[in-house]
Amino acid sequence: MKRNSKLASLLALIAFTTFSCSSDSDNPGEETGGGVTSKTKYIITATTGATGVADYLLTADDVSTGSITTIGNGVEQDGTYRYYITAENNFFSLLYGQGNPGAVTTYNLDATGKLVKKSDFQAETVHVFAHINKDILTIKVPRSGAASIASMYKIDAEQSIITGEAQQDTKILAGNGERAFFTWATQVGEKVFMPYMSIKGDGVDNFGTVNPDSTWVAVYNYPELKLEKVIKDNRTSYLGAYFTNGLFQDEKGDAYGFSGAIATSNAVLASKKPSAIVKIKKGTTEFDQSYFFNVEEKSGGYKISSTSYISNGKFLLLMYGNVGANSGAVKMAVADVYNQTFTWVTNVPATLTSATTRYNITTEDGNSAIVGINTPEGNWIYTINGTTAVATRGMKVEGGQITAIAKLKY
Amino acid sequence: MTTHKFLFSSIFFLFTFLSFSQQNQGLTVSGQVVENSGQSIPFATLIIEKTDFSLISDENGNFTFKNIPAGKYNIVITAVGFSTQKKQVVVAEKDVTVSVKLSNELNELESVTVLGRSQVEKVNKQAYNVTAIDAKKLHNSTLDLAHALDRVSGVRVRESGGVGSRSELSINGFTGNQVKIFIDGVPMENFGSSFQMNNIPINLAERVEVYKGVVPIWLGGDALGGAVNIVTSSKPRTYLDASYSFGSFNTHRSTLNAGYTAKSGFTTEINAFQNYSDNNYWVNVDIADLNTGAYFPNQRVRKFHDQYKNETVIFNIGVTGKKYADKLLFGVTVGENKADIQTGARMKSVFGKMQQRGNTLMPTVKYQVRDLFTKGLNVNLTANYNFGQEQNIDTVFRRYNWFGDYKEYPGDGSERSRTLRKFKNNNGISTTNIMYTLNDRHSFTVNNTFSSSDRKESDELVPESLVYQQPKKIQKNILGVGYKFDYNEKWSTSVFGKSYFLKNIYSRSYNPSGNVGDVAYQQYEDKTSSYGFGGGSSYYLRPNLQLKGTFEKSYRLPSINEVFGNVNENLEGNLDLRPETSNNFNLGFSYQTSFNKVNALTFDMNVLYRDATDFIRPTLNNNQTMTTNVNQGRVTNHGIDGEIRYSYRNKFTAGINATYQNIRNMTEYEPNQDYVSPVYKDRIPNMPYMFGNADASYIFNDFGRKGNNLALGYNLLYVHAYYLYWPSMGGSDKLDIPEQFNHDLNAVYTFANGKYNIALECKNVLDNKLYDNFSLQKPSRAFNIKFRYFFSKSTK
Repeated sequence: MKRNSKLASLLALIAFTTFSCSSDSDNPGEETGGGVTSKTKYIITATTGATGVADYLLTADDVSTGSITTIGNGVEQDGTYRYYITAENNFFSLLYGQGNPGAVTTYNLDATGKLVKKSDFQAETVHVFAHINKDILTIKVPRSGAASIASMYKIDAEQSIITGEAQQDTKILAGNGERAFFTWATQVGEKVFMPYMSIKGDGVDNFGTVNPDSTWVAVYNYPELKLEKVIKDNRTSYLGAYFTNGLFQDEKGDAYGFSGAIATSNAVLASKKPSAIVKIKKGTTEFDQSYFFNVEEKSGGYKISSTSYISNGKFLLLMYGNVGANSGAVKMAVADVYNQTFTWVTNVPATLTSATTRYNITTEDGNSAIVGINTPEGNWIYTINGTTAVATRGMKVEGGQITAIAKLKY
Repeated sequence: MTTHKFLFSSIFFLFTFLSFSQQNQGLTVSGQVVENSGQSIPFATLIIEKTDFSLISDENGNFTFKNIPAGKYNIVITAVGFSTQKKQVVVAEKDVTVSVKLSNELNELESVTVLGRSQVEKVNKQAYNVTAIDAKKLHNSTLDLAHALDRVSGVRVRESGGVGSRSELSINGFTGNQVKIFIDGVPMENFGSSFQMNNIPINLAERVEVYKGVVPIWLGGDALGGAVNIVTSSKPRTYLDASYSFGSFNTHRSTLNAGYTAKSGFTTEINAFQNYSDNNYWVNVDIADLNTGAYFPNQRVRKFHDQYKNETVIFNIGVTGKKYADKLLFGVTVGENKADIQTGARMKSVFGKMQQRGNTLMPTVKYQVRDLFTKGLNVNLTANYNFGQEQNIDTVFRRYNWFGDYKEYPGDGSERSRTLRKFKNNNGISTTNIMYTLNDRHSFTVNNTFSSSDRKESDELVPESLVYQQPKKIQKNILGVGYKFDYNEKWSTSVFGKSYFLKNIYSRSYNPSGNVGDVAYQQYEDKTSSYGFGGGSSYYLRPNLQLKGTFEKSYRLPSINEVFGNVNENLEGNLDLRPETSNNFNLGFSYQTSFNKVNALTFDMNVLYRDATDFIRPTLNNNQTMTTNVNQGRVTNHGIDGEIRYSYRNKFTAGINATYQNIRNMTEYEPNQDYVSPVYKDRIPNMPYMFGNADASYIFNDFGRKGNNLALGYNLLYVHAYYLYWPSMGGSDKLDIPEQFNHDLNAVYTFANGKYNIALECKNVLDNKLYDNFSLQKPSRAFNIKFRYFFSKSTK
């Protein structure tokens, strides 16, 4: 746990979470984006109604006030569902194409701060996409049937081209008669940690498992993407969730894993272990057996749905609304993993339809998370202070539900 | 089925019995009502003066008066659009056969020809908004049914590619399953991919009726609004119609329609067709580098994996014109098809090995009897059962690009989703139509359509799956009762009521013990009933000016795919789906006139209003991996369509039609949103709203030699640009399906009185880029040549 400035700046170079765009702003030697100044532009994506669904990219200088709309405004995105990632000051719009190869469109900001299309390229439909070094790592994982090969692709984030591929047989990786299903990928030090869930993938109960009370993280080197080892624990369940990151590295280089303990079998909750946070100490590839943060106990029985990092050990948690269950309208909380404290966020709307924790970004000072919150009354961007756990309402987004918020420099 | 069998045999015996008892009570006067050209006139009214005898001829113009005492009579024959005729008959010792020829009212001025559709105008006598296509006029073309329908106002057929590609019919804004397709009055549900609108050649049909809005009671079924009825030839005659065409993209098509009716009434018919195409037409695409994903922009290449082939045979054998059965035919439809899959929903997704196969094995029975038990009671029964199955094949672990290059990976994988899944719907349909004509003025109809599906699935890649062993059954019954009142020749009104019944049998999994991994299934049975009603009225202000108005409160029951899903189409089922419903209003008029005795003009116009709720619409499922259908929202449509047609003598004809439909989203609140939807009242995206056709043709009579004709034709299809997504959303750079113009040219040379025909066609003459769905490009310029032999002899 030594701190020195050299390490700090090195760490700043490394994306500590897959979507933590704030790391990009610290990134020196930025060459794309047409002459980077210090100005920030927010990109808000919003999606329309239940039919004819499309996303629109909106831009704003300040999300703490005012309002913005998709009516007659915004860059239309083709394809029903899209996911986004920011890397090397570029904004990537990925089509989720249900197994089809899909197109990815890259945007950046011109000198005047206008969002412009940089390029198109073809990529696979994936559900893991993470910023690793100067690349975007994407992973396509089969969930059922006879196919069991997961494909990993390295995309050069500056050039927007695929530079390498690797495969992993998920049945061999699981080694327990089921198959491994990567929930996400996170750069930890020089390596890529990929937590996975064990799933049946039998065509009947695809995402069910008979191993609901174990935690696995596959450790790969980079850029070779060679499997080095699988680390395992039995105090909680798998980290993250389908399409959801559950492993984050802090500023000190330690990694924290978040489990909702929501493994199912035949659609019935099967995990007996509590929803909890576990730790992998910097430089090690083992779970720290001395550390266990029982979130389910501290929260009064609630389970983690998804997580995003604010800073200095403080995380924003989205908790399932029903006690001991993987259901119920989500509620927000802040967890301090250093002090193992859990605080419900105050001043948020009573009912959340959804929140953009997947794309969470922080304020310039790094102390607050910026989240899009969709409610039955309307949709707003909130900032949530990591220290006080108080939410502050900011910009109103009209014409669609907020799906992502990102930040670029120009 | 057993009840039908019983019913059928009882009717059979009863009628045989009855016909004996009727033997000696009088003589029959029978015959056929035809035009001067020899074309039959359906539904003509025949009255024997100074007697109580009157009837309406059948759809082929045939009529039979029974038990006529000897004497001298005058029969008055009337049919709309034709001049009334009086025919004298003498009934002495033998049954009398008369032939009645009527002259077209416009025809009297100068040889008729409102070319293009005049022969089928009689269908329009009904108090429904209906347009009929005279398919016979198109028999020399290489059109399939879908493309023929595309020329009707208010109708758009959207297809995803070339020959055999998936097509979807839209009538006045209702699309897909919301519109019902019938063949000779039997709903074409689950007939399998080998026997569909996109592969049935136009030569199979005699005419195609397009009902906009209200679907007549005798068609039955559960359309939300609009139906197409394909009417095949049913005349007792001996005929042969054989054709072969060859064209661009290695396209070969042939059809063989032959029938034989003996004097004894023995009838046999065969309809066979085949389609083959490489569909390797040119497309403009961005081509990805297989390794880097970088695009080579705007390349022009040929499609390389879009081959389509299908072969289908329909065989019928039985009797016609018997006392116990005007028609009794046993048949079977056998077909198969194989289609390569070139792209996903977008051109950007390219495949090189994926394919679909399907087959149809469908026994059928048709039974028609007239004047059963009593005069004017006509019964029509049909039943069919499809044993066919469909399969998706995706087992090659490769990634292709538009150059046709690929990268192969080791192990078990696929291009999209590894599968060899097969499924059968085991669908049976039976229809019963009973029509009783009390007299000239009053007639009653009862129609019942029952269908049953029992889905079976399997995949040799996952043979042990329990999911496939669960019951997936749907039964539907639609009962309609209608009454038609013909006040006089000018005014006719129909009213009807319908009852819809749906039963789903399925199972849900649960964990019986609470132990990890334990699974059991419990069976459920859900039932839903709905009641609809409607009516229509038609009035002739003048003999050549008709007004029509219709209304229907309609329901459509969810289909088996919507309830149980279809993995081959990436569709997840929704067991909770309810019927969708709509209020449909139509008001139409048609007017015919002529001047200088050689020019004929027709005008048709139709205004409509639709108000649909519980709309069944697709959305993504919970983990966003498949689409699923939900009952949501309200949609309205204010529309107008019309057609003007001109003809000069029998030489030249030209027509233009146009459709505008204002289809709006009236869903004020989306689920979980207490604020007004931002797209409330917005135009429904990805749906053409303004389109039209223009056509012209010129016939050189006695070209080359007396009796030989040369016809030159031109057809233009126009579709206004429309947005892919909500029009109100987004800035200036919106995605749209651009404006489209498609020009087709054709020349047909007919000799030996229509026995031999040679047709030359050029489709998409200007090689314009054409799109329908999600920017999937349709064929580039194509040439076709078609040879056809036609021979027909009336049995009587």
